[in-house]
Amino acid sequence: MLKPFRKVPVLNTANLLLVENEEQLQSRLGEIILQIEKDVKINVRLARKLPLPMDTQDSRPRIDLVVFIVNLMSERSLQCAEKSIKCLDPGFFLGKVCFVVTGARCLSVSTNHLLTVRKMAASLHCPLLFAEDQTSEGVSTVAVRLLGILKVAAGLVPLATGLSLNSLAHCVLPSDLDELDSLT
Amino acid sequence: MDPAVRNLLLRILRKIPTGKLEETLTKWTHLSRTQQQSLNYSQSKWILHENIVYLCEENGLTMKHVSELDMIYCMENPTSATWRACQLTDAEDDASSVELISFKEQFKAHLSELIRNVSIKIKKHDDESIWIRIAWGDHFSKPNHLKPTYVVHYLQTPYVFICNLSSKNKLLLHQALVLATKHGSIKDANLSGRSFHAVRDLLMGHYNKTFPTSHSRPLKERNLSPTHPNIVKEHIEQAEKRQQLAREAFGEGTVPKLERATYTLETRFRGGSGIDTFIDSERPFKTVVTFESKSLLASLRHCVSSGMAESPVSPLLSSITQKGRNYFVITDKTNKGPDMTTQSFRSNV
Amino acid sequence: MDVRRSDVDSATTPTRQRQSWRNSVRTLNTTTRPLFYSGVLTAPRVSTVRRRSNAHQIDNDVDPNQMALLVKEKWELSRVTPMYNFRYTELKAYSKNLSAFLLEEKQQGTAAAVAGYDKVFAVTFSTISGVAKTKDDAETVFIQINSKPVFAAAGDAPKVVWSGWLTCVRAAPQYLQSLPPEFVCLPVFCSSGAQSLTFLVQSWFERTFDCSFGSLDLSPTDLQWLAAIWTSYHNERKIRSLKLKWTLPSEPPLDVTMAVDGQDAWDLWDSTHQQEDANDIYIEHVKRFLNCIETHFYRHFNIHLSAGVLKRVATEGASVHIDGKVKICPEYLPSTMELLTECAILRMPL
Repeated sequence: MLKPFRKVPVLNTANLLLVENEEQLQSRLGEIILQIEKDVKINVRLARKLPLPMDTQDSRPRIDLVVFIVNLMSERSLQCAEKSIKCLDPGFFLGKVCFVVTGARCLSVSTNHLLTVRKMAASLHCPLLFAEDQTSEGVSTVAVRLLGILKVAAGLVPLATGLSLNSLAHCVLPSDLDELDSLT
Repeated sequence: MDPAVRNLLLRILRKIPTGKLEETLTKWTHLSRTQQQSLNYSQSKWILHENIVYLCEENGLTMKHVSELDMIYCMENPTSATWRACQLTDAEDDASSVELISFKEQFKAHLSELIRNVSIKIKKHDDESIWIRIAWGDHFSKPNHLKPTYVVHYLQTPYVFICNLSSKNKLLLHQALVLATKHGSIKDANLSGRSFHAVRDLLMGHYNKTFPTSHSRPLKERNLSPTHPNIVKEHIEQAEKRQQLAREAFGEGTVPKLERATYTLETRFRGGSGIDTFIDSERPFKTVVTFESKSLLASLRHCVSSGMAESPVSPLLSSITQKGRNYFVITDKTNKGPDMTTQSFRSNV
Repeated sequence: MDVRRSDVDSATTPTRQRQSWRNSVRTLNTTTRPLFYSGVLTAPRVSTVRRRSNAHQIDNDVDPNQMALLVKEKWELSRVTPMYNFRYTELKAYSKNLSAFLLEEKQQGTAAAVAGYDKVFAVTFSTISGVAKTKDDAETVFIQINSKPVFAAAGDAPKVVWSGWLTCVRAAPQYLQSLPPEFVCLPVFCSSGAQSLTFLVQSWFERTFDCSFGSLDLSPTDLQWLAAIWTSYHNERKIRSLKLKWTLPSEPPLDVTMAVDGQDAWDLWDSTHQQEDANDIYIEHVKRFLNCIETHFYRHFNIHLSAGVLKRVATEGASVHIDGKVKICPEYLPSTMELLTECAILRMPL
């Protein structure tokens, strides 16, 4: 179980954990985030899934934001994210978790998976970002947005907290979805 | 020129890509240097081929010469059809003393005895392999040079590779091979592929020798460690382990190009709980599983290293390289030992 | 809102009509909340339960000669928006019109490659009754294009160069009722023949009936449904093997085909699907059925098939590819077309 407050924070530092089973996008995202941020020290940890191995526990800093990257083209990617979420301390869901989906362009394959991710993000009150992973512009756009969320979650933005950001930016399902579900 | 010869020549020329044509003709040596220089390879294929046919007519070349061209091209590019591997068994005492001349004589004599109207051509390749081209006919028809069978044999080894063999002629060829190599019988080695070299390397173990042993080489990081010091991979150890497993099972660098592997599963159903039909009865759940890829071993290696396949690598998959086979029949072991999950490999001869 | 409604009533030209149809659907969406839901990014309304139709019934429903036309070819699928002013009484005129249209295009050079300059096209429109299953479903329309020499000799039989059909099987009644009466809804378009002719036929329909065509890609879930439905017909039509093909995103891509023995597949389906009413199929059973097969595979090869995509499902009589290619046999026709109708309506642009 990964806990949010087990370690003390370090001044002017933000720590990001990217969880992606396919390992396609995470290192590119990490590199771009490190490239664009000059003022704050950022540590990026890459993982395929949670729980994280015990032997890296000591070297691991306090995690400010956990990002789950889900490839909608792969059912396994979704299954792994669903499993990993269970290994996260509930404290993280107070503004320290975010979802990123890729492959949403290919809708015929991914409609059902997208719906599942949306339901998951909505029920956990987390933001959900759509990433275009085929172009470098798409990747940098997501990197910029993640960096913004990370700085808030790490408490580096005055007057903003992860929780307050979440209340504004969390994923919502269309209001008629539940009604329609109850009808079918 | 006989229309049949002309027809065959055109057909062979069409098979050869223009880029390789000059090289192949040079090896063939039936066109003189000046004749070859007169050819313009930038011309359209059709005109070029007509010109070559004209030169061959001028030289009075016959079916014998033309089939030689086919053979030269096939020996240089043995990727045009499916090669099946066979293994000779029950070697006689003097099997190891068979050499080229006697093999040639024996093989020709035995096959001609078994079937009339068969055209056989035997050539030795640079790497000591013997290449045999057989055009089959029967009592009433001339040898059909359009669909020849190719056979490759390495003397003093039990390995034979065959392509384009119809089931009608299978027995005849097998018998001639067995007699000429002084063996008792021949069996299917359950390995086939479009690339002769890949099939040969897998079966004859040329390929296994390049395998790294787990302790002899230190773990080399290949693009595994992140580029930036502030990026840390949590699962780096597992990733390295997976890479190593993948290399051990399927080889490093360029691997022999196999196109497919087929498994006939006749094992008990292991699909999950609550499915009583198959759990209670001893009945197998019959499935044929086929893996296909442009390069099967490279795909499987990537599956393992990327985590799509869990470790350990399934013994069914690593058997492709370890046993040099790509056709398997899998059954549960019938003797009810303590371990019911083990499987046995049964050959399908 | 009232303006939109009046739009529907007053619209006379086809273009305006389509505009108003869109509006009327939107109106419905905001006011009465229909059961169907075509919003692409929000919630696709896919059935979670399907009813198997009785396979024996089909033989009587469709004329065997016409059925032979439907099961002979491998069809490429497209979806079509509802057609304005399509009339079943005018089929003869449509045949003439489309022939003339093709002739004109041929003279401009587009279709010449298909038939050659010395050939003409003859188009026939016909209906196939019995494919539609409810009174709301529009009758299936079959189109055949023959080519024949301009100066035909007595012995020259016309050659079929293209065929296609438009169908609708058990479309959601709420959807059909939301359409104004001038529209005929035949959402699935199957074609077989030269691409260039398919394109010409489509553009003729688009011009004549103010509709629009789009590709009909299927999802892995649709393929899973078909795998289960086809297996469930094993007693009516024996399956020798159920073939499932996945593609895994390795380098280079790896295709995995599982051919499950037909009887074993049926036994597995039978035990995953223990229901009082054997004719109801639930999505949970479909998922469980496929999951069992994938797990059986995993226990042997340690490879997660869920990392890839299910791309093709086939039995001896039928096959379906995720790119929208399908071949069917009579027993599977109603259920398969019902599923495809639903897919086509879901993918309809608003």
